[in-house]
Amino acid sequence: MSIVALGIIIAIKVVVILAIILGIGAYLTLVERKVAAHIQRRPGPMVVGWHGLLQPLADGIKLLTKEDILPSSANFLLYNLAIVMALVPASLVFAVVPFGPEIHVFGYDIKPILTDVNIGIIMAFAFGSLAVYGVALSGWASNSKYALIGALRKAGIIISYEVVITFAALGPIMLAKSLSTYDIVMAQIHQKVWYIFLQPISFVVFVFALLAETGRVPFDIQEAEAELVTGFTVEYGGMKFGLFPLVEWYVEVLSLSSILTVLYLGGWSPINIPFVGFVDPFFFLGPWSGFIWFIIKVTILFLLVLWLHWTLPRYRIDQITTIAWKVMLPLALFNILITAFIAPLLRG
Amino acid sequence: MAYIGLLSLLAVMLGLSVILISLNWLLGPKKKEPYKTYPYECGVPLYDDTAQTTFHQGYYILGLLLLLFDIEVAYLFPWAVVYNFLGVFGFIEVFLFLVILTLGLVYAWKKEALDWQFDLESL
Repeated sequence: MSIVALGIIIAIKVVVILAIILGIGAYLTLVERKVAAHIQRRPGPMVVGWHGLLQPLADGIKLLTKEDILPSSANFLLYNLAIVMALVPASLVFAVVPFGPEIHVFGYDIKPILTDVNIGIIMAFAFGSLAVYGVALSGWASNSKYALIGALRKAGIIISYEVVITFAALGPIMLAKSLSTYDIVMAQIHQKVWYIFLQPISFVVFVFALLAETGRVPFDIQEAEAELVTGFTVEYGGMKFGLFPLVEWYVEVLSLSSILTVLYLGGWSPINIPFVGFVDPFFFLGPWSGFIWFIIKVTILFLLVLWLHWTLPRYRIDQITTIAWKVMLPLALFNILITAFIAPLLRG
Repeated sequence: MAYIGLLSLLAVMLGLSVILISLNWLLGPKKKEPYKTYPYECGVPLYDDTAQTTFHQGYYILGLLLLLFDIEVAYLFPWAVVYNFLGVFGFIEVFLFLVILTLGLVYAWKKEALDWQFDLESL
C-alpha cells in the first residue's frame, strides 16, 4: 500500500470521527430533548424546522454569537486549557473503536478502525480517565465555589469508578485472550457467543461505571441543577459552555457505549444465539450489515442511558463512592474468579 | 506506524479545540460592563474574594486506595491476556494475589476508609 493511499485512508477515517463528534454529537442534543420531552408528556422543540430538526443549528449559532467572557478572578490559561483537556481525550477514544468488519474497497482491505493496536482497550481506559482533568481544571480555574464543589465531586466519582471499570473489563479480556478491540470482537464471532451471556455481572457493573464516568443520572451529582446550577460549567459562556455538555453527555457516552458494545455485545456481529451462531436479517448488505448492527447497538445503549437519566432521582456523593467500593468492586472481583473457571471451557 | 492515525487525530482535535475556544472572541460582541465578569453567587456579593482556598473533601483515603488498586489492575491485565495458556499454575498464583488484594479491601472496609469522611473532628 503506497504512502498516498495510506494518507488518504487515514484522512477519511479522521473525517468520519470528526463527523461523529461534531455532527452526531450535536444532533444527540435534539434526540435527548425530544426523548426527555416525551418522557415528561410534552412535545419538546417544535419551532425551528420540522419537529425541531434544525434546533441544533440554531443552538450552535446562538452559542457562537455570545460574548467571550473571562470571569474577573479566573486564571486565563487554565480556564481555556480545561476545554482542551475535556474535548481532546474524550474524542481520542474513538481512535480504537472498530465500527465494522474489514471491508474491500477500490482494491484495498480496510479495517474501519483508526489505530488497530494490541493495547486498544488500555488506551480507551487511559483516555477515558484523562477526562477528569478537564472538569477539575475548569472548577479550579473559574474561581467560583459552585464550580469548585462540582469539580471535586466529579473527581471523587472518577477515582471510585475508574477502579471498578477496569476490574469489570478484565472478564471479557480473559475470555477473548486479547487487548485489541478488533480481536475481542473477532473472538466473540469465532466463539459464537456475545460475552454479555457469559459475563452478566461484569456487564451490569460496567453500565453503572459508564453512567458514573459520563455524569449521567443517577450519578450526576457534580452538576446537580437544583443545588449547584450545573457545577463546573457555571462560569463558562458561549461555545465554551456548549462544549462541556457536548463532551461529557454525548461524546463520552457514545465512546463508552462503543467500548461496551465491543466488550459485551459482540461489536458489529448480528443477533447472537449463544453457542449456535448468528442470525442476520440484513444479510443482503454483505459486509456493510456490520456497520448497521454496530449503530443499532450503540443507539439502543444511548437510549437506555437517556431513559435512566429522565426517570431516576440522583444519589448523594457519599452514596456514590460507597456503592463503587462496597458493592461494585467486590462484584467485579467475584466476576474475575468465576471467569477464571469458565474461560478454559470455551473453545477457540 | 500504527499510531500515525492517532497522532493525526490528536493534532486535528487540538487545532479544532483552539478554534472553538477562540470563535466567541471572533464572532461575539465586545461590550465592557463593570459587573459582567463578576463571579456567580446567586445575586448577592461574594462571601470570599477567591474560591481557591483550602476546601474539605471527604475522599482523601479513597484517592490513596485508587493508586493501589489501579496499580494492581495493571498487573492483572497481562495475566488476563495469557490466562488460558498458563493452566492451573496461573490460576493459583493469581488466586493468591486476588485473596491478598481482597484482604486489603476488607481491612480498609473495617477501618472505615471506604466511608465518606464528613469532617476531621469526628475522626
